[in-house]
Amino acid sequence: MSTIIQLERITKIYEIGDIKVPALNGIDVTIEEGEYLSIMGPSGSGKSTLMNLIGCLDTPTDGLYKLTGEDVGEMTDNELADIRNRRIGFVFQTFNLLPRANAFHNVELPLIYAGMSKDDRREKVELALGKVGLSDRMKHKPNELSGGQRQRVAIARALVNDPSLLLADEPTGNLDSSTSYEIMDLFGNLHEGGNTIVIVTHEEDIAAYTHRVVRLLDGLIHSDEKQAPRRVAASAVAEAV
Amino acid sequence: MGRKLQGAGRAIWEGFVIAFAALKANKTRASLTTLGIVIGVITVTLMMMIIQGLNQSFTDQISFLGAKTVYVQRWPWVWDDDWWKYINRPRVTMEQYETLRERITTAEELSAMAWTGRSVTYRDKQLDRVSILGTTKEHSIVGSSLPEYGRYISDSDNRSSRRVAVIGVDVRDALFGPLDPMGRTVRIASKSYTVIGILEEQGSFFGDSRDNTIIIPIETLFNDFGRVGRDVMIAVKGREDISIEDTTDEIRGIMRAARNLKPLEEDNFAINQQDALADLYNTLTGGVYAAGLIIGGISLLVGGIGIMNIMLVSVTERTWEIGMRKAIGARTTHILWQFLVEAMMICTVGGTVGIGLAYLGGLVLQQALPAVLPAWLAASAVLFSAAVGLIFGLFPAAKAARMDPIEALRAQ
Repeated sequence: MSTIIQLERITKIYEIGDIKVPALNGIDVTIEEGEYLSIMGPSGSGKSTLMNLIGCLDTPTDGLYKLTGEDVGEMTDNELADIRNRRIGFVFQTFNLLPRANAFHNVELPLIYAGMSKDDRREKVELALGKVGLSDRMKHKPNELSGGQRQRVAIARALVNDPSLLLADEPTGNLDSSTSYEIMDLFGNLHEGGNTIVIVTHEEDIAAYTHRVVRLLDGLIHSDEKQAPRRVAASAVAEAV
Repeated sequence: MGRKLQGAGRAIWEGFVIAFAALKANKTRASLTTLGIVIGVITVTLMMMIIQGLNQSFTDQISFLGAKTVYVQRWPWVWDDDWWKYINRPRVTMEQYETLRERITTAEELSAMAWTGRSVTYRDKQLDRVSILGTTKEHSIVGSSLPEYGRYISDSDNRSSRRVAVIGVDVRDALFGPLDPMGRTVRIASKSYTVIGILEEQGSFFGDSRDNTIIIPIETLFNDFGRVGRDVMIAVKGREDISIEDTTDEIRGIMRAARNLKPLEEDNFAINQQDALADLYNTLTGGVYAAGLIIGGISLLVGGIGIMNIMLVSVTERTWEIGMRKAIGARTTHILWQFLVEAMMICTVGGTVGIGLAYLGGLVLQQALPAVLPAWLAASAVLFSAAVGLIFGLFPAAKAARMDPIEALRAQ
């Protein structure tokens, strides 16, 4: 087991004009390879800020952030872009798929930015779409897919470049409950396949699927507990419906 | 470095793919946007086509004067001084022609020419205002006017002032119709001339037929139509291995000596060449050229601003997309190129359509004006359109590339 995320005394202060708004007030979190973890907290607790920092979209005001051993704090914009490309797989609440591009091209996008050859890209895209069970929907555009299928395409896009970390921001926020369970089931399978997953959510029943819950309040860690995850097999969902 | 270059190449290619998809989805908007570019390109291209056509036709028109040939005359072809300066000059004479002939070393050949305009009759047929050119045998070389049938003027024709005539094809057609003119007699101002040859077709010079002409020995012209007060023009064809400037200098020296001009006195003769006409022509068309470029430039500017506007709209509309692309690893340059390529593609499509329409317009114009579309003009119009896209796409593309990914993602 190696450490994927190492956060020490992380603070983030936004400056709006002359006013300083603290968002994170000293956070210590370590995430090991293979963990399945959720970050919870009410709005204003700093969970979005923490997610942006972990996702290398932003850098901390102070403190140490190491991602797979690399110090992210002092990186340039281009270096951060490369880290996001190779180490992080983003899953968004609103899927953020290109509406005019088919599933294949949407999943291919990170590999294009990675500068990968066409043949390598094809192989990896097919593999990623296979993992989310959409091998037969490669030529479909987002508007020809259901909400759950769209989020699966987005997850395939996050997985395609073999990131160290899958980072999902309210991944079920735009889905109905049965589709939500279906997506959480997929995350469970991916975790069992060895992926490290962090889910940011405010829904308790979503957090219940994860093995560890970090709760934030006013920019500080309120609690950090391991838990026995709730497992819902696809069959159980079918019975419930 | 290699990876960086490769990455940039990919970014541009990716830009093409994205831009193509975006254009396909927004056909109406894209085509309205590019209308400014289309109009600009049509304007510039049509202007250039007409100017190119005029240039080519001008070059064709004056080519008979000969690139290596200079003309010694009383009057210059182009002047901006007062005309009385020239009208008081002494006329060029046959004696000066003979002097030039004797002394010149830089000429391949030279001939003397004098003109009159007369009516010509054959039996009951009459042709008015025929150009009667009196000349020497060398003019067939200097003026490249060769007889298609029969022979040219000879030295002995001149020595004996024979009444012989080489006629142009217009004269042949008007007076003889289907008859063979060779050996027949035409009357020029009641003098009878025997037709000894028919000139090759010469074409026209700015609308005037150069075939409505009769060539006779210059001495015969002086005898029959008067020597006094008649201007002689000396045509000198310079040697191929000698620059036209050297030939001109030698002629000037010989002419000044023949006329006993003192060192400080101005030349009282003109040495003309086709460059003088070309210069005049370029001065005249320069204005048209500049006007065309300014009008086209303004259309392209307006088109470019249209492109910038639509690109700014596009960037705003796709803010979330920019955020997503940055989140999954797009670098600043990737985003920059994506929007630059999109702007350039819109403009290039507009430029290509513009060239196509200009070509069609040129086909219509050709009924009235000479207009040509050389490949370099078409290519540079398309390249220029792409450059407009690049320039006016830069600001919106830079705006997109500089976006903060977190803010951009929030835009949804």
